[in-house]
Amino acid sequence: MPAVAADECTDGELITRSAEGDRDAFEVLYRRYSRPVFGLALRRLGDRGRAEDAVQETFASIWRAARSYKPERGPGAPWLYAVARNAITDRGRARAEPPAEVPDRASSEPGPPERAESSWTAWRVHRALEGLSSNERTVIELAYWSGLSQSEIAEFLNIPLGTVKTRTRAALHRLSGLLEEELA
Amino acid sequence: MSDAPDFRDLVGGDLPPEEAERLRRVHELLVAAGPPPELSPQLQEPVEPEKPRDNVSFLPRRRTGLLLGIAAAIALTAFLGGFISGERHGSPFNEVAQLPMHGTTAASKASALLYVGKRDSAGNWPLKVDVKNLAPLPKGEYYEMFISRGANARAASCGTFRAAGNTDGLRLNAPFSLKGVTGWVVTVERPGSGKHPVVLTT
Repeated sequence: MPAVAADECTDGELITRSAEGDRDAFEVLYRRYSRPVFGLALRRLGDRGRAEDAVQETFASIWRAARSYKPERGPGAPWLYAVARNAITDRGRARAEPPAEVPDRASSEPGPPERAESSWTAWRVHRALEGLSSNERTVIELAYWSGLSQSEIAEFLNIPLGTVKTRTRAALHRLSGLLEEELA
Repeated sequence: MSDAPDFRDLVGGDLPPEEAERLRRVHELLVAAGPPPELSPQLQEPVEPEKPRDNVSFLPRRRTGLLLGIAAAIALTAFLGGFISGERHGSPFNEVAQLPMHGTTAASKASALLYVGKRDSAGNWPLKVDVKNLAPLPKGEYYEMFISRGANARAASCGTFRAAGNTDGLRLNAPFSLKGVTGWVVTVERPGSGKHPVVLTT
């Protein structure tokens, strides 16, 4: 029996345990990273079906390649990001692209470095959200992405406004700890 | 125009400056990152690592569709079984919100109380509805509950029922994100008519 419950392990420890065939560790890793991987795949591929395939391919690759992770080279999140990015790139190449027209003007879309930066930020933020309690995550998701005001959230969840504010502030505080690297 | 919430409205103005600045950075990261997507039902559980499909890639999409169809049929059977069993044994319902619904001009005496249950681990929001003074429907017609998003009153279905008069404890389900939901409606559905008169609305 493992000395430390998988839920309490760092990402790196979970990858190492997955490499040893620990299914519980792999499942915890999946819970932490399935939404960030899906989000990254959706942004890159723009298609839910192919993004779903990319998620499954990513985790199959993680299971197979976990032995290649070297904890001394750094934490687990960047390694997982690289595996996901490769799986998504492979899935993108699999699509038969029609030949593109050469644009007349330079695109105003963000270039590769900006896209990579925003993808990495979203990856870390979405991973951090998985570290919140479900109560905290609910108020954050409702506050930021549902368009509801704090009073409307209180009404929607049928809890006092003060509780919504307390949970929101606690969630932001906890996220600040989980996103230490980004805030440094 | 930005849809981002106001930072001061979220945290108030009584934080020490250093803490406020730290939380503001988190706020900015959340706004920049955007919402994480909802996982599809087939992604709720991890891939079986010992049996990756053809060494990582999965079944052709047509077969995936067939399998999903079969899985959906099994899930529906399980859901109905669970529904009947749950009704019989009084399954727990952890309410998180209660919304009154009132009758439209098409059913001015009707009303309802909608209870939204706690979201389960698979992403379902269980619903319970008590209806009052709903008219009995002719054979072949039924009531259907929808969530509304902005101008789209029938954005997604939460299930159908044929109860009339005063009926308590109708169990429905919203198996999707409630982000952006602006209300709930109940319509009368007449197969083939193309009309969907709203009889109840929040």
